[in-house]
Amino acid sequence: MSESDLDMMKPETMQSYIWLQTSDGSLQQVEQEVAMFCPMICQEVIHKGLGSSESHPISLPQRVNTAMFSLVLDYCRFHQVPGRSNKERKSYDEKFMRMDTKRLCELTSAADSLQLKTLVDITSRALARIIEGKTPEEIRDIFHLPDDLTEEEKLEPLKNTMDDPRIRLLNRLYAKKRKELKERERLKNVEMGEHVDERSVDDLLTFINGRDPKMSKGKKKSKKKKDQKIDSSNDKEGPEDFHDKESHDLHSKQQGVEETGSREREVPEDDIFMPKVAGSEDGDIDDEIDPAMKEMLDREVEDFARRLNSNWVCSLGQERRPVHFSINSNRTTRQHIGNDISFFGCIIFASIVMLRWTDVGYGLDVKVNLQDTIDELQWLTQFWLVI
Amino acid sequence: MGESLDLISDLPQSILENILTRLSLRDAIRTSVLSTKWRYKWSTLTDLTFDEKCVAPSTERAVVETNLVRFITGVLLLHQGPIHKFHLSTSFLQCRPDIDQWLLFLSRNDIKELVLELGEGEFRVPSCLFNCLKLTRLELCHCEFDPPKSFNGFASLKSLNLHQILVSPEAIESLISGCPVLEFLSLSYFDSLVLSISAPNLMYLYLDGEFKDIFLVNTPKLVAISVSMYMHEDVADFEQSSDYNLVKFLGGVPLLEKLVGYIYFTKYLSIGDDPGRLPITYIHLKTIELYQVSFEDANEVLVLLRLVTHSPNLKELKVSASPIQLFPLEEESFDLFERDYFDYKLPRLETVRMTDVSGIRNELEFIRFLMGTSPVLETVIVTSSLSDKEARMDMVVELLRFPRVSPRAQLLFLQD
Repeated sequence: MSESDLDMMKPETMQSYIWLQTSDGSLQQVEQEVAMFCPMICQEVIHKGLGSSESHPISLPQRVNTAMFSLVLDYCRFHQVPGRSNKERKSYDEKFMRMDTKRLCELTSAADSLQLKTLVDITSRALARIIEGKTPEEIRDIFHLPDDLTEEEKLEPLKNTMDDPRIRLLNRLYAKKRKELKERERLKNVEMGEHVDERSVDDLLTFINGRDPKMSKGKKKSKKKKDQKIDSSNDKEGPEDFHDKESHDLHSKQQGVEETGSREREVPEDDIFMPKVAGSEDGDIDDEIDPAMKEMLDREVEDFARRLNSNWVCSLGQERRPVHFSINSNRTTRQHIGNDISFFGCIIFASIVMLRWTDVGYGLDVKVNLQDTIDELQWLTQFWLVI
Repeated sequence: MGESLDLISDLPQSILENILTRLSLRDAIRTSVLSTKWRYKWSTLTDLTFDEKCVAPSTERAVVETNLVRFITGVLLLHQGPIHKFHLSTSFLQCRPDIDQWLLFLSRNDIKELVLELGEGEFRVPSCLFNCLKLTRLELCHCEFDPPKSFNGFASLKSLNLHQILVSPEAIESLISGCPVLEFLSLSYFDSLVLSISAPNLMYLYLDGEFKDIFLVNTPKLVAISVSMYMHEDVADFEQSSDYNLVKFLGGVPLLEKLVGYIYFTKYLSIGDDPGRLPITYIHLKTIELYQVSFEDANEVLVLLRLVTHSPNLKELKVSASPIQLFPLEEESFDLFERDYFDYKLPRLETVRMTDVSGIRNELEFIRFLMGTSPVLETVIVTSSLSDKEARMDMVVELLRFPRVSPRAQLLFLQD
């Protein structure tokens, strides 16, 4: 009050004031140097031009009520005077901090919203000193904290730090290792072809076993897929081996499909046996055969199998129908092959083809070999008939 | 009864972290049992300081070690967010694989300040440390340091402190030159090192060890130097070249403000052919502390004199005469002080402290010189190592006779 009186008496020394409104509505007039000590007020004045008159006061943040603001002002008033020594300032701070905890917390909050870092630091320091070395109950008491952790939860952080962390870390590392190993195995399996085989064969099996009349369609679909894949494998420059293996895998699947299709009413155990054999054998010989040759081979075998199977399928009543070995135009079919025979024929044919293929090296005339196998098969079927 | 409202939990996280950083780490973590809101307030602290006080004390060393390892691993696992400071300072931990894991974890969490002070043992720093490219401060103690060939230095490193580290000299030199913004360098406990330091931003240099030779190749910004130079019995360890070591060492530090030398530092500086004058004047040099100066060796006294006379703003001088009588020389003539320096003035010298004075001619003459050339001298403190009362008395009598230029000069004679 005395300051403003003096100022009224000496109009030359015009002291400028800043108008501020605290969060609880009270309007205050503060000397400019004191108020500008707070960075937040400084910004409001400079950037927004507020505070110059009573009608446009600076609204203080919500956490700054009248009581807190007066404390902050006391602090600013002392420290904004440049001439004070460090010792003086320190001892003032010490005395200033002597207040009850509630006010200390509110003051920290207020100082923070006014961006007065030095005041925040000393209040934080005072609060830290209060917390330091006390038991949790004491701290809860001082700050009125709710004791809302269960007994278990209270132990948890201690448990973690005392008992489990190394085990947890180990478990994490083990999990990682397991993942890595799994990845590696998966990659290996993809290369070998088994993995891919199993999946698609299963799919195809369910396809086949589930729907009789659509069998041919299903087969055709898979054949188409196979063709597409073969085409794509031939088109791509990339990892040829892999694609070749893939096409072969598909082919063997194809065979499996055909076989299982033809012996639809047979004991399913053989289903499992055949495709796998086909698969593994195929896997061995994948690398050796020329893709173009393979394609030809595939198509011819397809035709043969198709004929076998389609005829047999069409004969719902287990009619006996001639199966035409039309691959070789010269030869004609003579025998009437029954269901069982055709099934066995397929199996035998497949196995013979496999065996033949194991013999096939580079550049051999595969067509001729195929002819041989068909001859052999005919001979075998004759044999069966005899039995 | 009024409602007890929570006073503190709703303060902004930045304030709470401010408070928690001022507590010891153990206290900060204990706040996690206060209430549900407080459970993880500590977990985002960016500065972690560990020592054996973090765990309960025990008489058994192994127990403390295990508990401390568990504690640190637990804290790191429960921690969230970046970790900027990691200080581990304990003699209980020596060489453990857990430390490797912690360093790997830290290297993935933007570590900026790393202090690792372990107990005696050959802990080999793992290579993940060299991936911590955001490091600004590195302090290692009792470790083996072996940077990989692809390592180019820490681009942000400002402070490097290596104490008793097993490392090859080339690695040290390339490390120093690979840290362009290095400001503080401290190397202690090194043996037989020929060190060449090139650090354009270096301001504080602290060396302690058996250095054979030190070259300050490019250190224009050095402000403070402290060197403790040990050496073998054999003086031939110091390379005898024609370069004056004083010039070689201190010739390129015009901004020097404080110079401190221990053990054989002055001896090291005195080696070489004296060119007569120093090339630069140390305008900013305010404090010179040279310990273990052998006043019997005229060369060392000469070094001392040169430094003192080339520092017009010298304010404080502390010299201790060497009690180590390694080289019993003939007392050289004391006209050292008569030539050249007769009219010299030390305009700002205020405090002089001479310790371990044993009454040698050169010592007394030096004090006389100081008292006769310092107009603003205030205190001259002399402590003696003489046991003989008579000899001491004679010395005091001699000292009191010296004329003083400064009217306020006090000669204080203290006993050891």
